[in-house]
Amino acid sequence: MVTEDSSGEVVVRLDGVHKEYGETTALAGASLEIRAGEAVAVMGPSGCGKSTLLNMIAGLDRPTGGTVVVHGENVGELSEKGLALYRRRRIGMIFQFFNLIDDLSALDNVALAAQLTGTPARQARRRALELLDELGIADRRNAYPAVLSGGERQRVAVARALMNRPALLLADEPTGALDSRSGEQVMDLLLDLNQIGQTLVLVTHDEHLARRCASRLIEFADGRVTGEHTLEPSA
Amino acid sequence: MRAVWRAARAAVRRRRLQTLVIALVTLTSTVAMVVALGLVDAASAPFDKAFGKQRGPHVVAAFDPAEVSDAQLAQVARESGVEAAAGPYAQATVEFPDGSMNFGLGREITVVGRADPEGPVDRLDLWAGRWATRPGEVVLNRQSDWTSDDLGKRLPMPSGGPALTVVGFAFDLSRTADAWVAPEQIDALHPTVTQMLFRFPDSSTDDRLRAQLGKATEGLPADALTASRSYLTLKHQVSSSARAYTPYLMAFGILGIAVAVLIIANVVSGAVISGFRHIGVLKALGFTPGQVVAVYLTMISVPAVLGCALGTVLGNVLARPFFEFVFMGPDAGVFHDSVSVSAWVNAVTLLGMPAVCLLAALAPAVRAHRMSAARAISAGSAPRAGRALGIQRRLAGSRLPRSVSLGVGLPFARPGRSALTLAAVVLGVTTVTFATGLATTMTRFGDAGRDAYQVTVYASHVKDGKEIQPEHGDRELHSLLAELPGASEVTGRAVVDVRLAGSAHPVILEGRRGDRPQLEDVLTRGRWMRGDGEIVAGSAFLRQNGVRVGDRVSLEKGGRTEKVLVVGEFMQSNPRVVAAGWSTLTALAPHEKPISYHVRLRDGTDPAAYARAARAADAGITPDVRGSNAITQTIIGSASALTLMLAVVASLGVFHTVVLNTRDRRRDLGMLKSIGMTPRQVTVMTVTSMAVLGAIGSLLGIPLGVAGYDLVVPRMTAAVDITLPAYMTDVWEAPALAALALAGLVIAVLGALVPARRAGRLTVAEVLRSE
Repeated sequence: MVTEDSSGEVVVRLDGVHKEYGETTALAGASLEIRAGEAVAVMGPSGCGKSTLLNMIAGLDRPTGGTVVVHGENVGELSEKGLALYRRRRIGMIFQFFNLIDDLSALDNVALAAQLTGTPARQARRRALELLDELGIADRRNAYPAVLSGGERQRVAVARALMNRPALLLADEPTGALDSRSGEQVMDLLLDLNQIGQTLVLVTHDEHLARRCASRLIEFADGRVTGEHTLEPSA
Repeated sequence: MRAVWRAARAAVRRRRLQTLVIALVTLTSTVAMVVALGLVDAASAPFDKAFGKQRGPHVVAAFDPAEVSDAQLAQVARESGVEAAAGPYAQATVEFPDGSMNFGLGREITVVGRADPEGPVDRLDLWAGRWATRPGEVVLNRQSDWTSDDLGKRLPMPSGGPALTVVGFAFDLSRTADAWVAPEQIDALHPTVTQMLFRFPDSSTDDRLRAQLGKATEGLPADALTASRSYLTLKHQVSSSARAYTPYLMAFGILGIAVAVLIIANVVSGAVISGFRHIGVLKALGFTPGQVVAVYLTMISVPAVLGCALGTVLGNVLARPFFEFVFMGPDAGVFHDSVSVSAWVNAVTLLGMPAVCLLAALAPAVRAHRMSAARAISAGSAPRAGRALGIQRRLAGSRLPRSVSLGVGLPFARPGRSALTLAAVVLGVTTVTFATGLATTMTRFGDAGRDAYQVTVYASHVKDGKEIQPEHGDRELHSLLAELPGASEVTGRAVVDVRLAGSAHPVILEGRRGDRPQLEDVLTRGRWMRGDGEIVAGSAFLRQNGVRVGDRVSLEKGGRTEKVLVVGEFMQSNPRVVAAGWSTLTALAPHEKPISYHVRLRDGTDPAAYARAARAADAGITPDVRGSNAITQTIIGSASALTLMLAVVASLGVFHTVVLNTRDRRRDLGMLKSIGMTPRQVTVMTVTSMAVLGAIGSLLGIPLGVAGYDLVVPRMTAAVDITLPAYMTDVWEAPALAALALAGLVIAVLGALVPARRAGRLTVAEVLRSE
């Protein structure tokens, strides 16, 4: 695990971020910084705004106030196309419910991310196969999401997230839909990735996951950061 | 029941877009259905409908007033074998003084004394002015395309008798008279005949009508009945132009019905299938399977019934000007101010379209009825096993941009829905192809000989009801017209009635003299006449008289006979017309002069300016600038309107499919955007998915449209006894086919564009959160 490195470059900076959905306030002045190579876990009760926070960093949504700067880019000021390119180049996203395309095989789901950038099909598939191999599911490359187990689906989703070598890997309850064994496998995977330098932000209810994978814990409540702790590596 | 209604109402509110689309599609489809069924109805038996509406007489009988009294004829009307009768009416023949205005009725007209336009038989369509109720008034038998500005004008009477004032125009399909006057007026016109109008129970054949008339009049003196005319003869004459329309209108009607039903089925079944998860939730809450089906049928029925009702009203509103446009004149069975959609069409549409909607909803609803709650819920949300996986795999490995290859694969993931959408596109393309072919033929037909002349100069002029003769003689006038600025060619045309030896049919011989004897006519076989003793005949003439190109026939006029050789066949639907050179005409009618001169102008010459110059050169002529061909315009115009309507309906079907697909694939779209797909790529992917169906639709629709053309056009031309030259029917050229191939793409892309752009703008966070 990478421990906190205060000298690392700040890759994510949120400053007084607000987000309202009609009458509902999801973020109420959230501010935080994340440095390169860090593994940060965001925890808090349901509905406190942590997924919204992740969406802001991922460029999946725009703040209604404050700024979100990632690698020097003000995400809130990007056009729709700019946001798409930002997500494509800088972000890898892992969802609780995998969000794989049912009609595509595991290999094609992974290759898709690279193909959208214009990478030729053959080259994209070669890289996808390498990733599936690294994640231990190369033998399931031709299987479709409907026949994969939860753990396998999440590995495919992780492979897809890593396909374009993102600067930032964001995971929203990555083990929330998995049984404990599959959950452990995914945790190991995230830990390994962080150990080789991948910056990681994960949103979770699972303290065990946070302690296992993250070096820093951000406590979140009522749409804002309420506390921060450095975590000791778990056994 | 309240729970069902509440759940259905909530579902309708929650699915505003879907509800709107169902209402919109049923509305548009219903409009198309009303117009299509109305067309089929109107085109099926136009004469019968018009004749029935007027309660036309099966037999118009003429009696000698010297042999039979009015009282005796009134008794005949009450005979048991007579269904209904009108009359006796006194009938006179009036010949107009030379040069007087005759309102286009000819020089000799039949005038009947009649107290009113109604009655048990022969109800006249009094479309302008009022009925003649006093002496000195007359009502003329004219179609509603005649100008009502002539009301108040005077109809001159022979032998210096007082002129009659035109107080009304009425149309009588049965042609029982050219004009009607009040009974008090008719004696002044010296009637020679008493007219009776009969309807009989059996009007199927001439023989049966003759037998029934004979039975009804058997008590009258032997010579009392001087003539009788059966409506069957009239029916044959009148129906010919409507017969030309029928196959074409039928084809459009059937296409319209098929498109409407298909789109409705597509939209409604898609709406139910996409609501499976909701069905599961309802079941989990304790709704019985029957209640669930009821909720869904209610949910679909509300917008469908609303759409059908509004569509029927709108269809009727739109059909009126459209039918007036299509069915020009009473020959097609439509009278002034009586164009409307039949009651049965409205009834069928109002009941049939909701029934189609319910039937389309029923099949998937029954499927949901049988499903367990858990399965219904999972059918709406669980990962689906992939479909058409081989295709997806090949596409993923292709060189196409990924947004395009994903789009190409999408239709295969929903084969049922894609098939219905494809069917709608196929029908749309079929319609466009068929209409394009027809319009091309009709344009060429209408344009045939358009450049032959631009101005017709009639050799007479009517001023203040008096005919003025030209100041110049025939040859002098011909030369004068040729010398006016801008004139390029001048051809004189004379017409004489002759007789074909051995035949009872009269023949109209058109003699032509000058630069362009073929005038605007199109040769379909043989050649044009080159010298004396040669004629060119219309297709209908040849068929009806059993004559062929190369045959010799004899034409007779008075005591003269001329043997002529048929050297060609030209496009002419009038079975009485033949064309010949001037010397052939004058051999039969030596003193005949042209009734008109046809002037072809040099390029750039203004026809109106030429007409003014001609008029200034001789006050006794009437120059007329050639207008457009009304029938051609009607067919092209109506084909364009129908094509547009059906293309819109087909596009709406595509629109709805994309809306449903987008909703089904919200999660996928959100995911794709989350990994970097741009809005443009989402739009491209979605539009591509429909463009694939558009391309396949073109491939299937074009041959179907061509087949429809091959089926309909020969029947149209056969109905009016015309042979079209090959250049008019060879309409399928490569550029035209390439343009048609685009039709399917255009229909699909237009339908897909709006929901595709919406899909491109989906907010990822919202989509993924709602999942």
